[in-house]
Amino acid sequence: MRIDYEFKDKVDLYVLIPTIILVLIGLISIYSSTFNNSTAENNFQRQFLFVLAAFMISMIIYFLPTNSFKFSSIPLYFLGIILLIAVLVVGKTVSGSKSWLAFGPIGFQPSEFMKIATILMLSYYLSRNNADIDSIKDIFVALLIGFIPVFLILLEPDMGTSIIFFFMILTILFYKGLSLLWIVVVISPACVALSAIFGTLPFIVSLVLCLTIIFLLSKDLFFTGSVIGINIAAGFLADFVFNILSPHQQDRIRSFIDPTSDPLKTGYNSIQAMVAVGSGGLFGKGFMKGNQTQLQYIPEQWTDFIFCTIGEEFGFVGSMFVIILFLILMHRILSNASSTKDEFLRLVQIGIFSVIFIHFFINVGMVIGLVPVIGVPLPFVSYGGSSLIANVIMISIVLNIYRSRKNFA
Amino acid sequence: MNKFNSGSSDRGVILYIILLGIITIFSIRLFQMQIINQKEYDLKSAGNSIKAIEQIPFRGVFYDRNLNLLVDNIPAYTLRITPAYYDTSLNKILDAVLGFEEGMVSSILQKNRIYSKYVPIKIKRGIDFNVVSWLEENTNFLPGVDYVVEMQRGYPFGVMGSHLFGYTKEISPEQYKLEKDYYKPGDYVGHNGIEKAYEKELRGVKGYKYVLVDSKRKEIDRYKNGEADRESVKGKDLVLSIDGYAQKAAEEEMKGKRGAVVAIEPSSGEILALVSSPEYDLNQFSYVTTKEFLEKIYSDPADPLFNRATMSLKPPGSTFKILAALVALEMGVIDENTIINCGGGFTFGRFFKCHGSHGATNVVRAIEKSCNTFFYQLIYKIGLNNLKRYAMEFGFSRKTGIDIGEEAAGLITDESYYEKIYGKNWPRSILASLGIGQGEISVTPLQLAFFTALTANNGKSFKPHVVKGYLDNKNGKIVKYKFPEVKTSIRKDVFDIVKKGMYLVVNGNGTATHIRSNDFKIAGKTGTAQNPHGKDHALFIGFAPFENPKIAIAVVVENVGFGGTHAAPIAKKVIEAYLNKEINSNNNNSFSQLTQNEVMNAN
Repeated sequence: MRIDYEFKDKVDLYVLIPTIILVLIGLISIYSSTFNNSTAENNFQRQFLFVLAAFMISMIIYFLPTNSFKFSSIPLYFLGIILLIAVLVVGKTVSGSKSWLAFGPIGFQPSEFMKIATILMLSYYLSRNNADIDSIKDIFVALLIGFIPVFLILLEPDMGTSIIFFFMILTILFYKGLSLLWIVVVISPACVALSAIFGTLPFIVSLVLCLTIIFLLSKDLFFTGSVIGINIAAGFLADFVFNILSPHQQDRIRSFIDPTSDPLKTGYNSIQAMVAVGSGGLFGKGFMKGNQTQLQYIPEQWTDFIFCTIGEEFGFVGSMFVIILFLILMHRILSNASSTKDEFLRLVQIGIFSVIFIHFFINVGMVIGLVPVIGVPLPFVSYGGSSLIANVIMISIVLNIYRSRKNFA
Repeated sequence: MNKFNSGSSDRGVILYIILLGIITIFSIRLFQMQIINQKEYDLKSAGNSIKAIEQIPFRGVFYDRNLNLLVDNIPAYTLRITPAYYDTSLNKILDAVLGFEEGMVSSILQKNRIYSKYVPIKIKRGIDFNVVSWLEENTNFLPGVDYVVEMQRGYPFGVMGSHLFGYTKEISPEQYKLEKDYYKPGDYVGHNGIEKAYEKELRGVKGYKYVLVDSKRKEIDRYKNGEADRESVKGKDLVLSIDGYAQKAAEEEMKGKRGAVVAIEPSSGEILALVSSPEYDLNQFSYVTTKEFLEKIYSDPADPLFNRATMSLKPPGSTFKILAALVALEMGVIDENTIINCGGGFTFGRFFKCHGSHGATNVVRAIEKSCNTFFYQLIYKIGLNNLKRYAMEFGFSRKTGIDIGEEAAGLITDESYYEKIYGKNWPRSILASLGIGQGEISVTPLQLAFFTALTANNGKSFKPHVVKGYLDNKNGKIVKYKFPEVKTSIRKDVFDIVKKGMYLVVNGNGTATHIRSNDFKIAGKTGTAQNPHGKDHALFIGFAPFENPKIAIAVVVENVGFGGTHAAPIAKKVIEAYLNKEINSNNNNSFSQLTQNEVMNAN
């Protein structure tokens, strides 16, 4: 049919349909997990309104001229930086992090939108005609663009979002063609910093390991030496940041080492989440019938632990359905990126892919006990307006690029 | 530089590989959790669905020594609301029906918002039967409102026993902190009296019923068919040494007066009656204590909450002459025939008055007439330290160790006491009034009664107690608790002489001849304790029957005047209530005979 063909031509159904289904699954799961909770009674209705708002915003984004993304990258990026500073000054503290800006009854997390702005800015910078991913200056500026927001977000402090940013920046640079040496150079301070939290010995071991690899790759003693300085600084900085983290965030990091050591406190969520998913079996316990979910063994399940509801009430079949939807979606974004000739739009799509992928990896990995408990939402599914709208905007950008793909082929 | 930065298409492939790798790992993990290890997780999840329902056992009841039921359990109704099904527009109606101030129901519900909506919230305990029938009639219009039956104490024999029984009340946070292993917040525990002292016997053992709940916390089935359940064990039914009739008579007699009555069986130390007046209604405490009631009782100048029987300290007055006589005879400073001449008083530094001129007086006559002159002089012969030593043998100046509640130790001074105040040359004239039980000397009614019991039984008894044992419900036998024996070092013939005097107080020409009885012989001693703040306190100690004492009694009535007039008649009424029934029961109450024979020892 002709009309059908035209629609398919204008809209990437491989992106649109999985997104819609995931949002609907999210609504169903939020309904189930908040039904018996008196403090979260209205969350389903609120999420429904967020979905409507996201839909309207996505229509606008979809019909924007595609080159407007490029022009708006610089202003959006600086607006984002201003908002991140504003949040540190006048932000509202929610569960230990000062990450919310409130305008009357409406509040949002600037860090969610900063993801988009950073993707656009980084892509813009790296897609300049004379951009050279092997030049130290370009690498340095790119890292600066990426890590200024990370630094501001760490101050909130919001571990989860900072980690998302870190891997997002890394993915974009990696795709652009950052050399293996530089990848190690970028990752090493993070590794060293993380080890520093666990003590002095891990700190020294990871430091020596990273530097050995860097020296072997670069064969440059001076270069290696300067990286040593950065790494040691990162180690001390990490220790400093760890100490300013809120106690519950410290506990979360510690409890990952051994979740059973303190089963009633921080490890509790992780264990109960696994019990919920595991007890779901092949077909699940049925909608609204999961006792882990309904008896509220997992606090605030409708946010970061929403995958438990799916695993428990819809079983292996339901879980795999969600995973396959994510696979289709991410695969499609990745292949769209590969077939986009415009360097800026290609990098933007890679950035969007990375954000969804890292959220998915950390969130689902956390619920099934493969990743430490880090508070990040499951895209499209978890309760939360900022996250949902930011993710839908990113999908709209992908759809927008698909709509106008012939102009950039 | 190397192949990794040759172009983004290669990098894209690497991203693909990572994506597929992660998806594969996640899928395997989910398969492992949800298919292979599903049983293991399901078991843990099922554990989360097992609800333990506490089964609160019946609290042990109290029988008196004749196995009359004094304290039992009666059902009381508690109104509950299950918020999930409840319509808050009913708040106003419920406030009105329950007699609450407006907004009370709503505020209780608000306070309990943190709990699941499916857990019923107790709104008011001990609701009226009228409210229950109203609930029953309107149940269709009251969604989420219901009531449960809980147990409340009842007092079927008509004995108040406010200071004796005590009451049960929700556990205090302080006590809960100490005994977290058994109690839960909201549990009822004994406060005061027997309820408190025998809490561990009375409470029984909680049971648990395990049920499976569905995702709405609704019970769906029993867990393992009830195999894991633990039955609750009913608390022990205590058999008190109290005689319901004597207790009731004492309470009757003390109505409107301030004071205390304690009666003890001399041979066993068993307390037959223990009354502190004014009393208060235990029912007011045991369930819902209204603010008005608390304010009233705390502001009452008569202080009804104060247990006068074990806590109030008064000078023993002339009743103390009995002890002085016993000590003097035992020490040999006088014998039965020692004569002291009473010319209306005694001079030692100053003049100490007697209330008459008794002439040549021996110890028996001195007791009969309560001659002060005789005892003023006796104390100098005994010496204060000796008096104190013997007094302590009889339980004065220390706690008797009664099995319930708080008690005061009282005070008998010795020489070092005055040396500390006045130095080595303390004025010996102080002694004179101590000899007649006045001045710096204080005892509790319980101590007086126990002293009388020891005297009646020639210096031998058991620690005073109100609980005999418990009723073994399997065979209907009484398992007795053991109490330590108490013995004094005074010879029997000394007791005989002193008791002769006590006999004459009532049956000769003494101070209490008006309570003479034809059914049995009462022996006793009156006392009047001077009270600098008002009218004197009236005291009487006594025992009966004289030949074979079955009851010893002490009566203290505050601020009324002479002991013979005000305290002795009360003692007679209580003795009558106890002995007449005892005489009757020997003839026609075979039940009490039966149980007497079936008495079994705990060891």
